[in-house]
Amino acid sequence: MYSRLRFLRRASQIFFLVGFLALFSFAAYPLKSPIPVDLFLRADPLLALSAMVSLRRPIVPLLWYSLPIVFLSIFLGRIFCGWVCPMGTTIDICERVLHLRRLSGQGERRWRRAKFYLLIALIVTMLVPAAHRSADEFGLTQSVGLSAVYLLDPIALMTRTMTWVGLPVAQWSLRMTSDTTTAWSYSNFVDRNPKLNRALSPIQLALASIARPVYFRLGFITFLSFAAIVALGWYERRFWCRNLCPLGALLGWLGRLSPVRLAVSDRCNECMRCVNECKVGAITQNPKRYRGPECIGCYDCIAVCPQGAISLTTGYEDGARNDEMELGRRRVLGAIGAGLGAVALQKAALGVKRTDATERVLKMSSLRLMRPPGALPEDEFVSACVRCGECMKVCPTNTLQPAVGEGGLEAIGTPVVVPRVGACTQPCNLCGRVCPTKAIEPFEIEEKSHLYLGTASVNRSACIAWAFGRECMICDEACPYNAISADVAEDGALRPVVDEQICVGCGMCEWVCPVEPLGAIRVNSGGDRRHLGREKQKRARMEAERESTEKTLYPGI
Amino acid sequence: MNWGISRREFLRRAALFGAAVGTCELSALSGFSVDAATGPTIAVATKRDSSGLVRAVVDALGGMGKFVDKGDVVLVKPNLGWARKPDQAATTNPEIVAEIVRLCRAAGAREVKVMDHAVDRPDSLLLRMTGIEDAAKAAGARVGLASSPAMYERVELPKGRAIKSVDVLRDLLRADVFINVPIAKVHGSTGLTLGIKNLLGTVWDRGAFHRSRSLDQAIADCATEVKPHLVILDAVRILLSNGPKGPGRTAMKSTVVAGTDPLAVDAYGATLFGAKASDVGHLKRSYEAGIGEIDLSRIRVKHV
Repeated sequence: MYSRLRFLRRASQIFFLVGFLALFSFAAYPLKSPIPVDLFLRADPLLALSAMVSLRRPIVPLLWYSLPIVFLSIFLGRIFCGWVCPMGTTIDICERVLHLRRLSGQGERRWRRAKFYLLIALIVTMLVPAAHRSADEFGLTQSVGLSAVYLLDPIALMTRTMTWVGLPVAQWSLRMTSDTTTAWSYSNFVDRNPKLNRALSPIQLALASIARPVYFRLGFITFLSFAAIVALGWYERRFWCRNLCPLGALLGWLGRLSPVRLAVSDRCNECMRCVNECKVGAITQNPKRYRGPECIGCYDCIAVCPQGAISLTTGYEDGARNDEMELGRRRVLGAIGAGLGAVALQKAALGVKRTDATERVLKMSSLRLMRPPGALPEDEFVSACVRCGECMKVCPTNTLQPAVGEGGLEAIGTPVVVPRVGACTQPCNLCGRVCPTKAIEPFEIEEKSHLYLGTASVNRSACIAWAFGRECMICDEACPYNAISADVAEDGALRPVVDEQICVGCGMCEWVCPVEPLGAIRVNSGGDRRHLGREKQKRARMEAERESTEKTLYPGI
Repeated sequence: MNWGISRREFLRRAALFGAAVGTCELSALSGFSVDAATGPTIAVATKRDSSGLVRAVVDALGGMGKFVDKGDVVLVKPNLGWARKPDQAATTNPEIVAEIVRLCRAAGAREVKVMDHAVDRPDSLLLRMTGIEDAAKAAGARVGLASSPAMYERVELPKGRAIKSVDVLRDLLRADVFINVPIAKVHGSTGLTLGIKNLLGTVWDRGAFHRSRSLDQAIADCATEVKPHLVILDAVRILLSNGPKGPGRTAMKSTVVAGTDPLAVDAYGATLFGAKASDVGHLKRSYEAGIGEIDLSRIRVKHV
């Protein structure tokens, strides 16, 4: 029976990894998945904890999805790590495929407490009042934390690695192969063979669907960090899961309550097979004891025991399991200090933005901090965003890119609109529908005419219509909200002018502008309006529309 | 009246005729008037349902069999540039595209491709929202947006004045028949967008047109080499303001204009907006580039 358990566990790992990849690939226009595509992110209790604690409010959908994992852990320990976690499975597969040999033996676990200290430090970052919601009220509930959980949460890390690295690499490989072979084959033999030409045309048309590969900034760094996590397997198997993963620490801590435990019978002759087999080093030198918060419930020890001495039992009597985490008091204090320091460091770095206490307006020194529509006010947005990259995966125009310096150190990896890559296309609200923590709140497509991203402005000394008298006006053509109109010169030449009351900063104009490389019409984030709320933004837009008058060259007959 | 001659032959005869007229005038032979029937023929259909309009104009031009032979590959180029719904009149009416596909199929076309190079993104959203993908696929066409530079080939423009070369969609260059299916709209930078402007959707780098000495001239330059065999102008619902993308005021015209002379179709199309074709920059330049006939008094208009 127990050898079947190992097969079941592997099947479960594969099932959940495939499910994770499938949901990841379903996160695309037109987003018709019966299961929420961010299921794994929603079900992650650490992300739920981070978003709710740092925003100081319950997020109901997150609660519903993450509570099952919490209960699972309370009853069965870190079984999520051994049976479900796509990160753990990926590490398992990589270690097997890459033949990572362990440099160290299975001796005393030097680093295993690190994950608990990291968890403590992360919880501190959620709790520290890093910014205040409003200028006149101070206190814990009126503040938001500056969660750093995104750094280490395995599901967020896995999703963003897939988005920023896996997806573009796969698409570019396909695109480069198809482009090169197309060009080569047409110039060499397809042109001279009409029949072949006709036969190939459907393939040519099908290739058009992969014609625009996505790309993301930060891709290379993300790749390096993921590769490092895998490479740590050289030192110890599942180094990440044993020593660093804060989600594993959280689930292990919950699992101390678990009634399901391993028991070792008298048949054990201390052959040490289980000690060597245990992926996470939960069984120490004495094979009759194991560490509960370390065990990921893979039950390989049961499968390999030649004596059949290990079995699963239930109950609370003291047995083989050791539930002590053995945290040092000084280290815990150090972790709390590190959490405080992490927040302070982020707030102090660069000084890109500050909340002005008197005007209740966010002051930014970066022109290009344009957030997706529906994003929470900046401070709340940064603390709720877990940098999973799901919004960037689902964005059909690739305009959502991880922030590099736009929002300061604290906002690295959060989504920003980069119009020169693509525009926030009008009939789309997918980013709001996939955000697991609702940092981007769901919004209707109709609301996009007033949900403010930024304002476009024409650089008249670079615009080819203003500066050189060319016939262009392509920005006016492309504007989905009719915010651009023509200024007619004395000689009849048309030059673009932006109505800043109507412009929401979707970036369509900047995207189509033929002036290379940056465009002569640029969207700037000046005058963030997110703190006003949706109603006020809507009213402002309606008033602006009433004032604007329709101009047209040919009235029609 | 079926002329039964190729366009080249027609142009040659027209030139000879023009020379003859000039000679007559030189000879001061008064009383000789230019017959309205000397110019190209276009067909204009009104007051039918969308597919009926297409059938009427194509029949008036001699039927689709005159343009499409058995076994031909046909490229249909609608305006599929924007993420807009059909009733916003920014993209070609899907029923018109579908009917053209059906007529080509009935005439024996081996394959009908409906392709464009869109401005908006993403392709999948555009194909769905404009309704063209569903309609054309149901009618038996392949539908796709040409979004990779590898799908284009360099075409020199020896007569070009503002631009000297363009990268044109390979499927168009390889097609036996090229049918241009624009929608009539006002346009922020070129005044109107009709058939000749719609040809911009067959080239890769549109930015080069805007950066060139003159956008209007560049459009005319492109039309000297990218020549449709048939133009079917969708004026069922036209966009009267905020063109070319809208959303703006639209008007039901229930009209379809068709012809083999790209400029003659556009010249008639301009009248739907109360404009004179010679006042529209790129049409005037196209006339100067010898694309076709711009003077309505010299164009035979068959009303059906």
